[in-house]
Order: sequence, then C-alpha cells, then structure tokens
Amino acid sequence: MSNIIEIKNITKEFKVLNRREGLKGSIKDLFSRDYKIVRAVDNISMTIQQGEIVGYLGPNGAGKSTTIKMMTGILEPTSGEILVGGNVPYENRTKNAQEIGVVFGQRSQLWWALPLVESFKILKDIYGVSDKDYEDMLALYQSLVDIEPLLHKPVRQMSLGQRTLSDILAAFLHNPKIVFLDEPTIGLDVSMKAKIRTLIHALNQEKHTTVILTTHDMGDVDALCRRIVIIDKGKMLYDNDIEHLKNFFGSYRTLKIRIDGSLKQLAEEIDRKLSDFKVSADDEWISILVDEEKATVMEVLSRLQQSYKIRDMQLEEISTEEVIKKIYEEGVQ
Amino acid sequence: MKLKKYLTLTRAGIIESLQFRLGTLVIIAGNLLYLIVVYFLWKAIYASAGTDIVNGMTFSDTLIYLVLATALFNFMEMYIVWEMGRAIQSGKITLDLLKPMEYRKHLFWSYSGSFVTQFFFTFLPTFLIVAAVTHGAIRFGWNLLFFVISVVMAVSINYSIDFLVGTICLYTESIWGINIMKQVIVMLLSGATIPIAFFPEPLKTIAYYLPFQSIYNAPLSILLDGNPQLQTVLTTLGIQLFWCAAMMVLGKLFWKVSLRQITVNGG
Repeated sequence: MSNIIEIKNITKEFKVLNRREGLKGSIKDLFSRDYKIVRAVDNISMTIQQGEIVGYLGPNGAGKSTTIKMMTGILEPTSGEILVGGNVPYENRTKNAQEIGVVFGQRSQLWWALPLVESFKILKDIYGVSDKDYEDMLALYQSLVDIEPLLHKPVRQMSLGQRTLSDILAAFLHNPKIVFLDEPTIGLDVSMKAKIRTLIHALNQEKHTTVILTTHDMGDVDALCRRIVIIDKGKMLYDNDIEHLKNFFGSYRTLKIRIDGSLKQLAEEIDRKLSDFKVSADDEWISILVDEEKATVMEVLSRLQQSYKIRDMQLEEISTEEVIKKIYEEGVQ
Repeated sequence: MKLKKYLTLTRAGIIESLQFRLGTLVIIAGNLLYLIVVYFLWKAIYASAGTDIVNGMTFSDTLIYLVLATALFNFMEMYIVWEMGRAIQSGKITLDLLKPMEYRKHLFWSYSGSFVTQFFFTFLPTFLIVAAVTHGAIRFGWNLLFFVISVVMAVSINYSIDFLVGTICLYTESIWGINIMKQVIVMLLSGATIPIAFFPEPLKTIAYYLPFQSIYNAPLSILLDGNPQLQTVLTTLGIQLFWCAAMMVLGKLFWKVSLRQITVNGG
C-alpha cells in the first residue's frame, strides 16, 4: 500500500475585511484596510493510502471544503506541505487534475444541453482516455447501474438523482487515482442514496480508487467508510477507524421507553432523576442515552419502573450519527 | 493527439448551440432591426452633411462597412466577460479550474463552437448578401485570404481583451458595470459602431495606437479597400500580429497573478 495523499501540518488563513454596520459603515468599508485573519484550517496532518474510502466529516463551516480545495490545487496552503499522487497540487494544478475526479453535489460538470453520452465523449477526449479504456469503463458502468436509458437523455431533463449518478460516473471516467465526493447524496431519496452508495463502493473495489467523501449523512459513512476524519473549526478532532470511534466514546446505548402521559414533562422529570444521562423526548418515545460504564441499561430500567408504568421499550445501539453529534457538540476529551 | 482535446470542446459547442434554434432566429431578427436603425441614422447624417462623400466615404461605403461590422460582431462576440463573471460568482469556476487544461484555453475552446455556428448562420449569409447586392463593393481576390487571416487574429485579440477584463471580476465579483464599460470602449474604439474615418483627428490617432481597431477596423479595411497595396495590407496584419501576441501574453500574466492572489488569499 502506498500513500496517495500526504498532508503535513497544513494551515490555511484567509484575509477578511472587517465589515462595519449600516450605510455609514459600508461607505467607510470602501476605503478600509482593516483586515482580520481567519484561520480556516489549522495545522492538519494526515496520510491517505491508495484505495481507501475516507469519510471527511465536520459541521458546516468546519474547513472541509477548504481542505479539499487545497488537495485539488485550487487553494494554496498558507503553510505546511501537501502531496497528492506525488504532485504538489497548487503548483501542478493541471497535471494534478488529470489524476483526480471531483463531484460537488450541488454543481454539475456535465454539459447541460447535451445527452449524457456526449459529455462522456468530451471528457474522454479532454482527459485523453483511450478508446479501449473508455469502452471498458462504459461496460463496467453498465454492469453496475443501468445507464443505457440515461446515456441518451439531455442532462437538463434528468432528475437530481440521475444527474448526481451521472456526475459520479463522469468523475470516475478517466480512471483517476483519487475521487473527491463533496456531499454526493445531498437532497436524494432513500433508494437513490442506496444506489449511489453501492456504486461508489463497487467502483472503489473494482478500480482501487481512493475516495474522499464529505457528507452530513451518516448513512453514507456507515455504508462506505472504514476510516473517518473529523474536523471542526479548522482543527482535527479525530482520525481513525469508525469502529474505534464507538469504543472510544464508551459503550453508549439508547434506551427508549413509552409511558402514559405528557412525554415532554415526563422527560424533564426523568432528566432530573437520572442526572448522569441525556434524556430527550419525541412524539412517541422518551430516549435515554445510557453510558454503560456508569449504570447498565437494566439498572436504569428497574429504577424507572419503580416510579412509572412502562408500556413499551426499545434498545438501540448508539449510531454513528449520535457519536458524531456528540463530538461536534462537546469535542473529544 | 493534443489538438483533439480542444476540438472536442468546439464540437460540443456546435451541438450545444444548435439545440437553441429559436435563439439564433431571435439574434437574426434583432440584427435586422439594428441595421434598419443604422440605415436611417446614417441616411440622416449624410442628408444633413449636404455632400455625397463624408470623410472620404460615400453613404453606401459607410453602410456596407457597418453591415459587415455588425455581422463580424455577431460572430466574434462571445460574452466572455459575462461568462467568466458568472462562473466566478456561482463558483462554477472551481470545476473549470479542475479540468486538465489551462482555464484560458478551456474557456476559449468551449465557446469556439458558437463561433462556427454564428459564422455560418449570421456572418456568411450577410457577407454573401452584401456581395450580391452591391455588385463589386467586395472584391473576390487575394484580399479574401488576407481578410480571413485578419479575422482569425481579430478573434484572438477580441478574446484576449475579454479575458483580461473578465479576470478583473476575480477582484470585483461584479460583472455588470465592467462588462458595459468594456463593451462601450471596444465598440467605439474598434470602429464597430462608427467607422474610424469619422473620428476627429486626435481620437483617430489614438484609436490607431490602441489594440481595439485591430478587431473590426483592420479586417474590414483589408476587405473593403478598393485599391489595396500589398504593403498597407501587410502593415495592418503586422500590427494585428503584434497586438495578438501582446494581449495574449498580457492576459496570461494577469490571469496568473490574479489566480495566485485567489489561491493565496482565498475566494
């Protein structure tokens, strides 16, 4: 296994004008030299190996896109070293572009007015893909998803799901070493999400392509990534296996119970009793996040049974989503 | 083959522009209207002058010149400033920057397809009609070859100027004003709206020292010169070649510096 991406202590700072308020302030701003430095990415290091699928997570504005832009060569780091496939991306952007594929979920690189197959042909010529490789790739695509009906459809007539699918196929077309997927499943329905996850997984297996995936959908992460990297406010919070993440946060389980009465009020009551645990309520259930190192689920349940009549209960293993949420909110201790 | 990756963009552009048949029709109709206005405007100018020849040009000379200038404008104008500005505002530019070719080339070749269609749909018909109607205002000889060479360079100069101005959008993030300003300056100083012969003396000299006249005035003067001297033609082409190279280098440098600004400071 070889390192395809090596990042050492990169930092990216932006100069932002300090804006003042109101009309008077806006006019003053025209002549202002009052800049502040915003550190979007703060001393991040990681290495990624060929063939990995890495989930790159963080709340909105955490610095994910900035990091990706540095890896693709659109932004130059303020300090630190970055190597992608042996290239320094911002120095050899055009060369680097040949080795990578990108999908920005919100934007399409396809030719809007043309049938998909024309976009593929253009990309084939731009990236200099040989006829044979192109045919093989199309055959592979056909075996993974039914692209035949899509090929002759103009992109502007496609549904969002079809377009995203097409964009992902377009990004893999020149068999790049790395594909960056920025929120590929945003706004898609459940079945399309599943289809796209299967596709990404299959392409990664088949072509050994490294995939860097940013997403807010933990379903994507659970389905695809073995390794995740979490950043917030430009700083790296976590970089390890997804399994490790769960152990790392102790053995949490969610106990859900149903009791007669107003769930909101009851939840507040229970919250006071079980001050160690997080209690919340929705329309049907009261959820208690139990840290099994402090008390087992059974203990909690029996304590609750002393004061309430529990009509129904469910036990859930903690989801990645909850762990991530916990990290976003509380950070890593 | 290297050229293939550019020509494929031209091909795509042609197919794309053919999808919008109605758009082409509207453009043709709009031009007709414009030309009607031009006709009456200049008719009035000549009538008020009281002579048949103003600044060395007869009414029909002027009209032929302006009709052809309009036809040239239609096929050379790619609205690059507009496109760049929009790409920068919408962030689409990141995707374009990630193509394995220089942005300047990518943009040019992406819009080269519309050149080809506009050439066949607007310029060529106008040209043929003018040639047929005026009986001999356009000579069919070696000047046509020079005219073609001149137009190719004009396209390049026009593109480079657009690209230079479009690059400014990286700083301003607004398009409208810049685009209008560029349009007015280029249209006036290139001789696209008023033949340069009509300019007052100091402005005329200034215009000849600027790159803009190489876009419309140069090819049209080669085409319409009734008594062409090889030396004059070669001088015109030489000046064009100079501007062609100068603007290209300038555009390239300015883009490089500006993009660095962006990649360093973020955008």
